[in-house]
Amino acid sequence: MNDRGLHVSHLTKRFGGGDTEVVAIRDVSLDVSPGEIVLIMGPSGSGKTTLLLMLGALLKPTEGAITLDGLELSALSEARLPDIRMRQFGFIFQDFNLLSALNVQDNVAFAAELAGLGRKEAHKKAAQLLTELGLGHRLRFAPEKLSGGEKQRVAIARALINDPALILADEPTANLDSGHGHETMRLLREIASERGHSVVIVSHDQRIKDIADRVLWLEDGRFTDAVSMVIDPVCGMALQVDRAAATLAHSGTTYYFCSRGCSWEFQGSPDEFVRGAVPERVR
Amino acid sequence: MIRLALRNLVQNKTRLLVSVGGVGLALTLVFFFDAVFTGAAGRLTLYIDRSGADVWVSQEGVRTMHMSASSLPASVTGEVAAVPGVEEAIPILYSTDMIQAKDSEHVAYVFGLPRDATFGGPWKIVDGAARAGPGEVIIDHSIAASAGLRVGDRVTVLGQELEIAGLTSGTSSLVNSVAFVTMDDFARARGQNQVISFVLVKVAADESPSGVAARIGQNVDGVTVQTSQQFAHEERKLVKDMSTDIINIMNTAGFLTGLAVVALTIYIATISRRKEYGVLKAMGARNGALYRVVVIQALVSVALGLFTGLGITLLIAALAPRISESLVLTVSLSSLLRVTVVSAVIAGVAAALPASQLARLEPVAIIRRG
Repeated sequence: MNDRGLHVSHLTKRFGGGDTEVVAIRDVSLDVSPGEIVLIMGPSGSGKTTLLLMLGALLKPTEGAITLDGLELSALSEARLPDIRMRQFGFIFQDFNLLSALNVQDNVAFAAELAGLGRKEAHKKAAQLLTELGLGHRLRFAPEKLSGGEKQRVAIARALINDPALILADEPTANLDSGHGHETMRLLREIASERGHSVVIVSHDQRIKDIADRVLWLEDGRFTDAVSMVIDPVCGMALQVDRAAATLAHSGTTYYFCSRGCSWEFQGSPDEFVRGAVPERVR
Repeated sequence: MIRLALRNLVQNKTRLLVSVGGVGLALTLVFFFDAVFTGAAGRLTLYIDRSGADVWVSQEGVRTMHMSASSLPASVTGEVAAVPGVEEAIPILYSTDMIQAKDSEHVAYVFGLPRDATFGGPWKIVDGAARAGPGEVIIDHSIAASAGLRVGDRVTVLGQELEIAGLTSGTSSLVNSVAFVTMDDFARARGQNQVISFVLVKVAADESPSGVAARIGQNVDGVTVQTSQQFAHEERKLVKDMSTDIINIMNTAGFLTGLAVVALTIYIATISRRKEYGVLKAMGARNGALYRVVVIQALVSVALGLFTGLGITLLIAALAPRISESLVLTVSLSSLLRVTVVSAVIAGVAAALPASQLARLEPVAIIRRG
């Protein structure tokens, strides 16, 4: 096995015990190579976030091992994890989560300073990175003055500043409009292809599949066969064919729905939904 | 971390203003009462400080002017004057009494001085004579002004009606003033001619007050001898002891008010940024780093409050004499040090609760949904 990249082996996470035990992740294994983008999709409560938290060393697995660039994270003591998180991971959040009191440059430089870089050098590096991401004219701006897309680019710059091995993104396009969503996706693709970072994205956004090298479907805490997945044309949710709440045939095609409500809405004006989204198999 | 703490602090200016203003007013309370008591204590020893005496001789065991009574045989003056190193010794009579002026009464420390005394009398005369003659009294000009009296008018002191011969300045405080009469008038009022209160001593130019005081103690029986500095120190100590309880109450009130204001504002400031602190933890920031942010915010808030409180008190101290000459506020170095220590304790305690919240904060809470 190549040491570089992320290697997840037989990962299990249980919460509670006895009758109240909940198994959030069941025997999950996953390899992510440097420069690869893996998109993890799944319904709410499937364990996506729990898995992301464990990959980011924010949550200890009950069983199994997580190895990043040859270092077994799951075996490290709590005391060592902050340093690992600081240098090995870059987090991108749905809500951007920028520090509201600091300007754009300070937000990015702060992450570098946390990792031990001097103030001058951190600010220089932050300015350079932000300029590369098209925010050179926004360095002194407060986060509240930025558009959603700009905020997410600042968050991406902050995630990249310490040159981490793995970027973990939680619904990175959820709060963005279509244009800014595509911009963010393009950036994530560049980060993986040109900078060689591994990227794991947890999202419901179907558009991200376009830039992902692999799409994994997580349900009930385990990866399932993605071939059986289809998209509800009304709400856009991915769902398993055999778990669809309703099906409808229209113009010779069968459509699958997550709920009867979606199917009723579809029946009202099918062409409106068919134009925007044909039934699609998840890769 | 310092930059983040300061930016967090100034981002919400209203909150900062409330915090600094609250602490400032609370510490003003502490400063103010301390300054009033220090000022009053200073005024109480004014006569000792300005009498011109180097050494004070009192009845054995009597170490203060106030809250005690000193009675010495008149012959002691001669015994003291005979001690080597004594340049001059004068007897004085002293008592606390009321100056009755028209319809008002004013507490005064009344001193009876020999007519030929070269020191021990008023040190700043603003009108009239510098020495009281028979049937005369010298009172503070602020007392005269408040009673609508002038030189030549009459007041009752020690049960005798006396004519105002002169007006002094800087001899009144919040609680009393100083009046001077002749020793004969004083003795007549008391009905005792052979008893004095204190002997004031001026030492020779080549002698030290402490050396002469020791020599008097060795040569004269039945007396307690102190340098003016020692006597004033004992006097201030007495006043301080008497006012300790009320000062402590005021300090405690100021401390608790300041603590409540800072603790509340820092707590709210921390809780409102809970998510940001969670992000910092997810990014690898350790608890210690986050504690520093909170502590710096508390320290800066309290430091600004301290300067505000000090500034307000100094302003009041500067303006007070224009309102009333009797109102003297003195901000002492010990008061400043004490309030600074109290402020540091306020900052530390105020930061403790938010810091414990941060210690328990799980970065996992930042990434929601599942």
